[in-house]
Amino acid sequence: MIGFIKKDLAMIKSNFKLLGILIIVYTVMGLLGEMDVSFILPFMSVMIMISTFSFDNYNKWDAYSISLPNGRKNSIKAKYIATIFMILVVSVITTILSFVISYANTKTINYEQILVSMLGTIFGTLLVLTFMYPIIYKFGIEKARIGIFIIVFGLVIIGSFIAQYLDLSFIAKLLSFLENYLVIILIIITILMVYISYKISEKIFMKKEF
Amino acid sequence: MENILEIQNLCKKYDDFELKNVSFNLPKGMIMGFIGENGAGKTTTIKAILNIVKSYSGNIKIFGLDNCKDEEKIKEEIGVVLDDMFFPEILTPNDINNSMKSIYKNWDTKMFYNYLKEFSLLPNKQIKTFSKGMRKKLEIATALSHHPKLLILDEPTSGLDPVARVEVSQIFQSILEKDDCSILLSSHITADLEHIADYITFINNGEILLSKTTTELLDKYGIVKCTEKEFKTINKKDYIKYKKNKYEYEVLVPNKKDFKAKYNIGVIDKITLDELMVLMIKGEE
Repeated sequence: MIGFIKKDLAMIKSNFKLLGILIIVYTVMGLLGEMDVSFILPFMSVMIMISTFSFDNYNKWDAYSISLPNGRKNSIKAKYIATIFMILVVSVITTILSFVISYANTKTINYEQILVSMLGTIFGTLLVLTFMYPIIYKFGIEKARIGIFIIVFGLVIIGSFIAQYLDLSFIAKLLSFLENYLVIILIIITILMVYISYKISEKIFMKKEF
Repeated sequence: MENILEIQNLCKKYDDFELKNVSFNLPKGMIMGFIGENGAGKTTTIKAILNIVKSYSGNIKIFGLDNCKDEEKIKEEIGVVLDDMFFPEILTPNDINNSMKSIYKNWDTKMFYNYLKEFSLLPNKQIKTFSKGMRKKLEIATALSHHPKLLILDEPTSGLDPVARVEVSQIFQSILEKDDCSILLSSHITADLEHIADYITFINNGEILLSKTTTELLDKYGIVKCTEKEFKTINKKDYIKYKKNKYEYEVLVPNKKDFKAKYNIGVIDKITLDELMVLMIKGEE
C-alpha cells in the first residue's frame, strides 16, 4: 500500500508549490488582520487529491493497478490514507500559523477557538472525502463532478426547506446538552463516516471491470 | 512439460462480444504469441487472467495456483504490460521506481535503472515528455524489474519503431535465457513473433482457432497457389481455408508434405503468420 501512497503523493508534488504560496498568502492576510481563510487550505488539499483521480482515469492507471500485488484493495486504501494525511498535515500547519498570527496580533493565543476551528475544518474536509470518493469510484471522476453538484444543490434546497418550515430549536437544545462531549462525538462520527465511505468505495471498486 | 499458465473453458459475455470456451496452456520457459485481429478477444483474455475483468466462467491457473484465490501471491511473480499506456504522465521514472520498490517484494532498483540506461530514458523526466515508444519501453522496464516468472504483455511492441522492436524482442529472448521466465505476448505484428515465439495461439471472434508450436505451424502448414481448375481437384478434407484472388487460388493446407504427396498441383509456399491470419479469418471453407 505504501507504494500506492507514494505514487499518489508523487502525482501532486507539483501542487505543493501552490499550497506553499497559499500558506504565505494566508499568513500575510492573518498578520494584516484581514479575514481568516485558514479553512481554505485543508479544502485545497482535498481538491488536489481529487485531481489524482483525473490523472488515473486519463492514463488508465486503474486497470494496471489491479495487475499489481493486492492492487484493488491497496489503491483504494492509498487514496483514503493519502488524502487524510494531506488534510492532517495541512491542518496542523494552518493551526500552528494561526497560533503565530493570533500571538502577533493580540499578544495572546486563543487556543480553544483555533483548535475548535481546526477540528471543524477537518470535519468539513473529511465530509467532502466521505461523500465524493464512493461517487467517484462508482461513476468515474467526470460524472462524479456533475453528481456532486447535484448533491450539493439538493442539500442546499432541502436544508433551506427544513430551516424555513421545521422547528429546529431541538437541535440547539441537543447541542447545548452535548456541549461537553461535542468534540469526542464529532471525532467518533468522523471516523465512522470515513470508515463507511471507505467500505462502500472498496465494495464498488472490488467489483469494477476495466 | 510443466505449464506455467493453464486456461480452461474461459467464457465472458458482453452485449456485443463473447469469449467462447477459450482454452490453452503455456509451458514453462516458453514464449507464446497470442495473435488475432483487433477485437478478437486477446485483451479480454489477458484481462480475465489478471482479474481486471470479472464475472467470467472457466478455470485459470497460474503457477498451478487459482488466479482468484491466490491472486496476491501470483501477482508478485507476474510482470505486465497492457495495451493502453497506463503510467500517470506527470510521474517520472524515479517516481515509478520509488513506488514499485514498495509494491513488489523482489523489486530490483539496479535492474530498473540499467533498463532505463539501455533504453535511453532519463530518470528525472516527466513521462509526458516521452514519445509513445519511450513510454512503452518504460512499461517494459517496469514489468521486467522484479524478476517475474511470467510476463503478460499485451501489444508491447505497438508504437515502437522497427529498431526498438528488435531491441525489445532481443530483451525478451535474453530474459528467457537468463531467468526462469515464461512469456504470453499478444501482438498483431506477427512478423516479430515468428522469430521469438515457441507457441502460437490464434484467437478469432472470441474463439481459439489453433494453439500449436511455431515450428509446427510454419513448417507443416503451407499455401498452395493454383488455378481454379486445379483447386477443384482438391478434396475438402485436405485443406483448411481458401481464398480466390484475381488470377489464382490460395489454399491453406495443414501439411505441406502430405499435400505434395497426394496432389501434384500448383506451387506450395511456406506460410507466414500474417498469411495464416488472413486466410483463417477471410478465407472460405
